[in-house]
Amino acid sequence: MSGGFKQRAAAALADPVLKTAVERTAGTAEAKRALAVAAFADFEAARTRAAAIKDHVVANLGHYLEQFEANAVAAGAQVHWAETADEACRIVVDICRRAGAKSVARSKSMLGEEIGLPHALAEAGIERVETDLAEHIIQLADERPSHIVWPAMHKTRDQVSALFRARHAEPHLEETIAAMAESARRHLRAAMLGADVGISGANFLIADSGAVCTVTNEGNAELSVVPPRVHIVTAGIEKLVPSMDHAVHMLRMLARSATGAALTQYTSFYTGPKRADDLDGPEEMHIVLVDNGRTKMRAEGLAEMLRCIRCGACMNHCVVFRQIGGHAYGGTYPGPMGAVLTPAFDGLAASRDLPNACTMNGKCQEVCPVKIPLPTLLRGWREKSWREGLEPAGTRGAVRLWAWGARHPGLYRLGSAVAVRAMRLFGRGWISSLPLAGGWTRHRDMPAPQGRTFMELYRRGKRA
Amino acid sequence: MSARDAILRRLAGNPAGDIRAEADALLRAPERPAVDPAALAEVFAERLAGPSVSASLDRIARLEDVPGAVRRYLADTGLAGLYLPPEPLLTPLDWSGLTIESHAAIDGGAALAVASAAVAETGTLVLDTAPSAPMLPNFLALHHIVLVRGETLVAYLEDVSPPAAWPRARYWITGVSGTTDIEGQYVRGAHGPRYLHVLLLG
Repeated sequence: MSGGFKQRAAAALADPVLKTAVERTAGTAEAKRALAVAAFADFEAARTRAAAIKDHVVANLGHYLEQFEANAVAAGAQVHWAETADEACRIVVDICRRAGAKSVARSKSMLGEEIGLPHALAEAGIERVETDLAEHIIQLADERPSHIVWPAMHKTRDQVSALFRARHAEPHLEETIAAMAESARRHLRAAMLGADVGISGANFLIADSGAVCTVTNEGNAELSVVPPRVHIVTAGIEKLVPSMDHAVHMLRMLARSATGAALTQYTSFYTGPKRADDLDGPEEMHIVLVDNGRTKMRAEGLAEMLRCIRCGACMNHCVVFRQIGGHAYGGTYPGPMGAVLTPAFDGLAASRDLPNACTMNGKCQEVCPVKIPLPTLLRGWREKSWREGLEPAGTRGAVRLWAWGARHPGLYRLGSAVAVRAMRLFGRGWISSLPLAGGWTRHRDMPAPQGRTFMELYRRGKRA
Repeated sequence: MSARDAILRRLAGNPAGDIRAEADALLRAPERPAVDPAALAEVFAERLAGPSVSASLDRIARLEDVPGAVRRYLADTGLAGLYLPPEPLLTPLDWSGLTIESHAAIDGGAALAVASAAVAETGTLVLDTAPSAPMLPNFLALHHIVLVRGETLVAYLEDVSPPAAWPRARYWITGVSGTTDIEGQYVRGAHGPRYLHVLLLG
C-alpha cells in the first residue's frame, strides 16, 4: 500500500463508490447488532463477564497454554510454538512441504493475514485457495482484507461480477448476487475437496479439552479442513478460554456483536485428528500457537487489547472507518482495534497517524463485547508518540504554545476574547475559510462564534 | 531456548489464587435469553422458524416414522437420493422407495444425520463425528436433514452434556449456510446446505 495514512485517507474520501459500499455493510451490521442487544436482557452485565473471562485468561495465560497443549497432544494433535510471524510461517510451510502439499485450502483467519501466511505460501510455491467468499474475491483481485469480518466490503457487485467472469470456469449467467455466490460455490467446492492441506485459524482454544473452535456462516471452514489429509491451525496465544462453558458465553457475545445473530451458523470444535474408525477427517492435526508481540503487549500496558475476540463491532460503529474504509489504515487490522494493534505490530513511528485519526467519541468502547477501553489505549499511543518525539515540529510547536497559554490564564483569556471577535470578520453564521484552520474549513464550514467567550459570559452571571 | 520456553518464561508468575475456583466463579448465573423449561419443544420450534436459522420442522412420533418423513420431504423437493450414514439407529429402518447412497456426492443432494443433542435457546443442532457419523456429507449436501430425539433437547447451550470422550469434531449447526459478503446482501447456500430440515422425534 503506497503513501502514508493521510494520502490513503484522502484517496479513500475521493473514491465515489467506497463510502456507499462501506456504509451498506457496516450500516446493516450496526442495525442488526442493535436489535440483538435490545433483545438480550442484561447485555451490559454479559459484557462485564466477557471482559472478566478474558482478563482471567490473560492473567493466567501460561497456565492455560500449558493445559491446552497437554490436552491437544493427548487427543493426538501436534502443537508448535512460534515467537514471531516469520517463525509461524516457516512452521506452516515446513508442515506443508513434509506433507508434499501442492495446494492448500485456507479458511479465513486474521492471524494468517497478520503473519503474512498468504505471501509465505506463495513464496514456497504452494497454491493457496481462499475459501471464504470474501477472501476468494480479494484473492482474485490481489488485494488485502478491508474489514476483519467482511474482508471484501469495499467491492461492489459489478466489480465482483467482473472478477468471477474473468476467473471462474463456469461463471454466473444472471447479474444477481445469488448467482455470483453460486458461481463461487461451484468453483471453490472442487478446489476444497482436492486440497492436500487445510489451514484455519481459531476463534477459541479450549484449555480443558484441547479443542479448537472455529465459527463461520458459510460452512467453508468445515469444507476446508475435513477433506485434506492435514489440518493446520494458526492461532494467537490470546485465543484461550478455560472451558466449553466459557466459550459458550464468548460465542453468545461474538455472534451478536458481529452480525446480530444469536449464534454463528456453524460452530465447530476440533479435538485431534481422525480417530481409527472415522470415515473422514485429517490424519494429522497441527496447532501453531503464535506470540508475535502478544506477550510484549501484555507486559507493556496493552493487556486489555488481548481481550479482543475480533467481532468487528468497533469498526462498524466508527465514524472514521465509515468514511475511509479499512484499506486506508494500512495494517492487517483496520478501525479502532487496528489503530491500537498496528503500532504494536509495525512500530509507532510508521503508524503514529492511526491513533491520531480518532475523534474520541467513545462509540467503539461502548459496543465492544469485552469492554476494551479503545480510546484510552489510543490516547496512550498518542502520549507515547509525544514522549518519543515522533510528532512533527509544527504540532509540537502549536501544543507548546497552547501549553504556555494555559499556564498564563490572563493572556489566554485576552487571546480568546480577541479571537472570538476576529473570527466574526470571516463570516456570519458559518465560516467557510479561516487562517490556520484550513484542515477544517477545506472540507466543511465552521460555525462562527455567536457571542462572547465562556469566561466573559460566566462573569456576567449567565449560564448560556 | 525454544519458542515454547521463551513464551512461557515471559508469561511466568501467575497471580496468586485458585485458578480453577476463579474460572468457575466466572460462570455463575450467566446472562442468556430466557427459555421456558416447560415449553422446550415450542421454543425450539420457534427458533428453527426464525430468520437466522430458517429451518423447516417435521414432528414425528416414532423412530419407524423417520423413513416416511424423509420420503415426504424428498418428494416435496423433487429428490430421490439420500446419503444415509452407517448409523445403527437408522440402518435397520425400512428405506424402501428411496435411492440410498453410501457415499456423498461432491455436489450432494440430501444427507441425513442424527443429532447428539439440540438446544432450544438458539435452535442449535449438536452433531458428533463417529465411525458411524462422518462429517463431510453434512456439508456437501444441498438439503441437510437432521433427526433430533426429543429427550436430547435441552434449554441452554451449557446444558448439552460433554461427550464421554471428545470425538474428533463436535459441531453445532444453527441454520443454513449463508453469506453477506457481497454488498452485505444475504444469500442462502454459500458453501454448505441451502436447506435444513429437522425431524423432531417424540
